[in-house]
Amino acid sequence: MHTAISKVVVVGGGTAGWLAACRIAAAARPTAEHPIAVTLVESPDVPTIGVGEGSWPTLRATLERIGIGEAEFLLACDASFKHGSRFRGWASGAPDDVYFHPFTPPAEPDARALVAAWQTEAAGTAFADVVTPQPQVAQQHLAPRQRSMPDFAGALNYGYHLDAGKLAALLMRHATERLGVRHLRDHVIGVDRAEQGDIIGVRTRTHGVIKGDLFLDCTGHAALLMGDVPFIDRSDVLFNDRALAVQVPVAADSPIKAQTDATAHAAGWIWDIGLPTRRGVGCVYSSAHMSDDAALETLLAYLGTDAPITPRRLTFRSGHRAHFWVGNCLAIGLSAGFLEPLEASAIVTVELSLDALLDDWPTRATMPLVAARFNTLFRYRWDRIVEFLKLHYVLSRRDGRYWRDHRDPASIPPRLGELLALWQHRPPLRADLPMLDELFPTASYQYILYGMGARVPDSGPLRVGKVPSLAAIAQRTRSMVATLPPIRAYLDACRAAHQPILTEQIS
Amino acid sequence: MANHVLLNSAEHRTLRITPTHGVDLGDAVMSCLIVPSEFRRVQNDYPILFRLTPQRDRFQALAMFGFEPGENLFLDGGQWDARYRPLALQIQPFLIGHPATPGGDKQIHLDLDNPRVATGGEGVRVFDDLGRPTPYLETIAEQLGELDAGWQASEGFFAALTRHELIEPLTLEITLDDGTTNRLVGYHGIAEERLQQLDAATLGELHAEGHLMPVFMALASLGNVAALIDRKSRRNTAHG
Repeated sequence: MHTAISKVVVVGGGTAGWLAACRIAAAARPTAEHPIAVTLVESPDVPTIGVGEGSWPTLRATLERIGIGEAEFLLACDASFKHGSRFRGWASGAPDDVYFHPFTPPAEPDARALVAAWQTEAAGTAFADVVTPQPQVAQQHLAPRQRSMPDFAGALNYGYHLDAGKLAALLMRHATERLGVRHLRDHVIGVDRAEQGDIIGVRTRTHGVIKGDLFLDCTGHAALLMGDVPFIDRSDVLFNDRALAVQVPVAADSPIKAQTDATAHAAGWIWDIGLPTRRGVGCVYSSAHMSDDAALETLLAYLGTDAPITPRRLTFRSGHRAHFWVGNCLAIGLSAGFLEPLEASAIVTVELSLDALLDDWPTRATMPLVAARFNTLFRYRWDRIVEFLKLHYVLSRRDGRYWRDHRDPASIPPRLGELLALWQHRPPLRADLPMLDELFPTASYQYILYGMGARVPDSGPLRVGKVPSLAAIAQRTRSMVATLPPIRAYLDACRAAHQPILTEQIS
Repeated sequence: MANHVLLNSAEHRTLRITPTHGVDLGDAVMSCLIVPSEFRRVQNDYPILFRLTPQRDRFQALAMFGFEPGENLFLDGGQWDARYRPLALQIQPFLIGHPATPGGDKQIHLDLDNPRVATGGEGVRVFDDLGRPTPYLETIAEQLGELDAGWQASEGFFAALTRHELIEPLTLEITLDDGTTNRLVGYHGIAEERLQQLDAATLGELHAEGHLMPVFMALASLGNVAALIDRKSRRNTAHG
């Protein structure tokens, strides 16, 4: 009996499910002895949750691997470019309290030399503004690339803002029409398990039992296949548990915001994501610190409108499974866990799960080993996300119970506490984050730390490396601001260039 | 009549120039005027030939891109397949303008009818929001300066070549892989035999005036004719 894993069953058809189906089908070798066949079972009437309309730069590589062109993606998903996140009101709440967390790391990798250059050449200027051109490029609503560049290449590192529902629809078309994924619209009414717990098949209402070698649970919060695995609650660290989400139309010729705005309020924060046709705005809050009515008022005040709004109400629990891969079943997406979307970690976690699965594709014989490694790696990653999100709160000087509770040492993970103690005396260094593929690189910690106004360490008794010239970065900024097109102009030109093709396909 | 205006930061604050290549941007040309100071860079990619002006009163130097009008064998869709592009192309759609006052600095003019003047919001900015020149405009200004100095130096260059009878008519017969023959007539090149006969004093004089290097660069550039023929053959195969 062969031990190849060739029959893959994806249960659930949101962004996670279709990303999984596409990645696996695109990576499969058709001439293999036991070629991989992917089936996706999707309940016909479960609405998908539009999580995270912000992506990480990783989505570019994912789309490229799947075989979707950048222009096709941008137009089909009402997508736009994202340079990073801008945090308003997080440090002090004062009107000028704003900082940028760009996707592009500083030009200088030696953190000590970089901080020394910043302090000697440009003390008083925002850290992110002097170490990379990205904040200025974003501020002027410019795209990170020109259309003449090859797909997915840019002058700066970038991600996307997108309509998650449209992304799932694009991935579905791509998976079924170009990658040969079998799509079943049917209700899963039961799971057949072998004695030792492995899944043999999922029972459906009209298609009978769908058997498989490997099952991916992409059923969201329902976690149809993985629901029995213990859930580790992280709300003792991250208090937010509710959100009110609205969509606001925008004028067709208005500049498109090039970063996700996250504006702090008394008991949480508000996301603001600009797409070509609308803005997505949402108020995230902690129900233990703020009433639903007060949250609604906060959202209305942010929107600056008197018009009545009917926001979608979301409740969530910050946390994740104790294990993500059990037997022959892997949780991908919300079934694995959920954290507040402060750093848009939802889609990237799906992508990284699929990277890890495909990097070390299991056989029946190796599955327990591969699963154990996967669980260790992703437990590490969830812990790092929790800590990185917490970092945004612990450095705040804002008043109020919510913010004070966030600074309570009992709510700070011990590892983060140790790092914060070290960072009083030196900048974040690579050794602080020793894994090969850290979700958040050292640069991200520097951006948050110095953006929040943390004390800049003295230069200390050791020599620092050659201090880089910030003038060269300023010159690159001038150049980029001159050569990059406004996002709106880029997307309009993109649409104009692709219109004939789209029309042809319809006719 | 071309629509030339003086470039200024108030009127052209939001002006953008299309930096890419293409037939629609005016790149479908078989040659481009060049100046001796750039021969060294030009000869890496292109043959350098000379031609009399339509008035037949003086010579001009050209970088050759093709064998018939409108044929640019370096242009492939949106790509320009060479490391260097002559200054006269790089500075488009800008021109050198006469000084506002006699003896004053020369000015930068803009050809508003040039297709490189962008209309769709993409392209390179010339001024930033505060009206300061962008690095792109700084480069253009340098290139215009070099070109202006080059035009003036051209006169002395060709006068010296004529004086020493170093220019001779050149007819290139080009036979493609498919057997068809094209001829380039009306062009001139360096008279190699004459050049080899020059005595040391004359060579020293040419060298002192800065003409010797461009002479040899022009001579060496003829090695690119074979490569240009290959490009033409490949294109015919691809299209045939």
